[in-house]
Amino acid sequence: MTNTIRQKNYKVVKALLLTLVLFCSPKSAWALQTHPAPEGLYAHMLAHLFFIATLAIFIYWLQTTGLVRGKGWRLIQISCLMFILWNLDTFTVHWIEYTMTRDMFITTGLDWSHRLSMNGGWRSWLYYFGKFDHLLCVPAMLFLLFGLRDLYRQAGTTEGLSQHD
Amino acid sequence: MISSLPLFPVWFVDVLGSAIMIIISFVCVRYAQLLRRTDRDNVIWTYLLWLSLALALFSVSRSVGHIAKHLLLLAGHSDVWVALRPFSGSINSLTFVIAGSITLFFQRVHRINLQILNDKRAIEKASEELIWLNRNLEEIVRQRTEELSKSEEKYRRIFEGSMDIIMILDLQGRFLDINQAGLSILGYPSRDELTANATFADLIVEPPNPHQLMEEVALAGFCKDLECRVRNRDEEIRTWLLSLTVSRKTDGKVGGFEGIAKDITHRKKMEQQLLQADRLASLGELSAGVAHEVNNPLGMILGYTQLLLRNEPENTQDFQDLKIIEKHARNCKTIVEDLLNFARNAETKKGALQVNDLLREVISVVEHQFKLDNVIIETSLDSSIPALYADGEKLKQVFMNLLMNAKQAMEGQGQIRITTDHDSSRNEVAVVVQDTGAGIPAEIIKKIFDPFFTTKPTGEGTGLGLSVSYGIIKDHHGEIEVQSTPGKGSTFTITFPVTLDEQKDPC
Repeated sequence: MTNTIRQKNYKVVKALLLTLVLFCSPKSAWALQTHPAPEGLYAHMLAHLFFIATLAIFIYWLQTTGLVRGKGWRLIQISCLMFILWNLDTFTVHWIEYTMTRDMFITTGLDWSHRLSMNGGWRSWLYYFGKFDHLLCVPAMLFLLFGLRDLYRQAGTTEGLSQHD
Repeated sequence: MISSLPLFPVWFVDVLGSAIMIIISFVCVRYAQLLRRTDRDNVIWTYLLWLSLALALFSVSRSVGHIAKHLLLLAGHSDVWVALRPFSGSINSLTFVIAGSITLFFQRVHRINLQILNDKRAIEKASEELIWLNRNLEEIVRQRTEELSKSEEKYRRIFEGSMDIIMILDLQGRFLDINQAGLSILGYPSRDELTANATFADLIVEPPNPHQLMEEVALAGFCKDLECRVRNRDEEIRTWLLSLTVSRKTDGKVGGFEGIAKDITHRKKMEQQLLQADRLASLGELSAGVAHEVNNPLGMILGYTQLLLRNEPENTQDFQDLKIIEKHARNCKTIVEDLLNFARNAETKKGALQVNDLLREVISVVEHQFKLDNVIIETSLDSSIPALYADGEKLKQVFMNLLMNAKQAMEGQGQIRITTDHDSSRNEVAVVVQDTGAGIPAEIIKKIFDPFFTTKPTGEGTGLGLSVSYGIIKDHHGEIEVQSTPGKGSTFTITFPVTLDEQKDPC
């Protein structure tokens, strides 16, 4: 009985040692794929696209369920729409930024005193105004806030959601 | 041509916007929390809280990254920002995905919420109904019980109060229930006694196979107005007009029978009596005609025979022959008189008399001989019966006929019981002659009052005794009935209306 247990323990130790040897010998680690710098940006931009798609689906559902007949959910729908616009804006800016060269930025002095060269033509203009993305995402958050506030107020009197079922 | 634009506005909007985003996102979370507190079971509010938290995370990660970038660049730590930038961007990307993922759950959450709301409404409705029922159950039960009780009482009243027989039978013909009229007609004091002692099939005499009858009813579903003969507890045969319907179980199979029967014994008896009276009346007319036609020539024969006998010496052959002619002519004369009595054409001499006295006279005549023949006569004469306006001699003839018939029905020994009674309500006097003789078979009982009908051997009786009695009783506006059980005896019941003088005599 004891011998059987010992034999089993030896087998486990052997297996662990073999695994350790394999991990410590990376000569032929072909399975590992490297991810250079652009992949991060792509992942980020794809996340923007995913966010756009989910928000669009959300708006569709709000429409089909009829919830938008209520003010609160209508404001939330506008918030989603604003977030979609913000995502499109930032996606565009990221793409332009990726194609811009360093010499387009005049970076003498402190951060806020930097300037943007307009030599890039329409891309420079698009980039410059696209950088004001907070003009889209702040209103989006505000609409969300107003929507939630309205739902909360309605819920204080009646079942806010059930009104719109 | 503008060669460059300042990035300060961008910087300013970015820093300010980032700060506002953080603040608004936290206010959103706060409102989502408040909203959820209004109804913690509402999954949509929970969903909005999660969405608000995800967007707050997104706002914080993004805004902190942007502000940190500007602060680090202002402080001249661009190298630090370069190091932090990938992390900031990655976290930012993750927050998009998280917020988007949560958004994708909306439809499922909404469906769940709708289901919960529907279930909630159904539960609330059921709960309201339960509460209502709980409050009103006692009253509802009371009302229903009262209605049921009234209905039960109504049908029970019909059931119990019906003059017809109403019965419920199982498939084997056992009585499950029967009304009072049924018990009374069948002669049982209680339902228990009936169910313990008899089944429907046991009581049926005709049709001869009651089980076949029940099988036929089970197949057809019903039978209507079937005339059948039923034996009651006292062995009395009753005639019923029976209607049976099957009662079915929930699976559609025959579970038993429900029957209504009308006892038509009395009606049948009356019909038979009417038929017999009609038949006897026809016979009476015929007999009277024949008797009149025969009576005159017979009188001539008897008269001339007697004239011849006066002139004839007694010891001659002619005298003996004339005597024989006279004897048979007299016999014929008696028969003719009997026929006239049957036809009620004979002369009657009515007067006030006591029936009991007549009976005693008749009994005194026959009693001695009856005793010798081991026939005992018992009497139970009602002394309070009133006098009748009748022909005493003819009534004595009737009683004599009945007593002689009763004696002849005895085989060796027996008992005759004579009872008189006065029914003051109907103002009738009844004379009952009951014997313990052989009884009369059912097939001939209808013919016993017919003229010349006799069961005696040829030469022992003319078959006119009961016919003459019938005629005399009818001449006194009375009735004669017979009930007989073969092997046990017969009972003749004569009823006379009480009339004291000739003026009141309907004839």
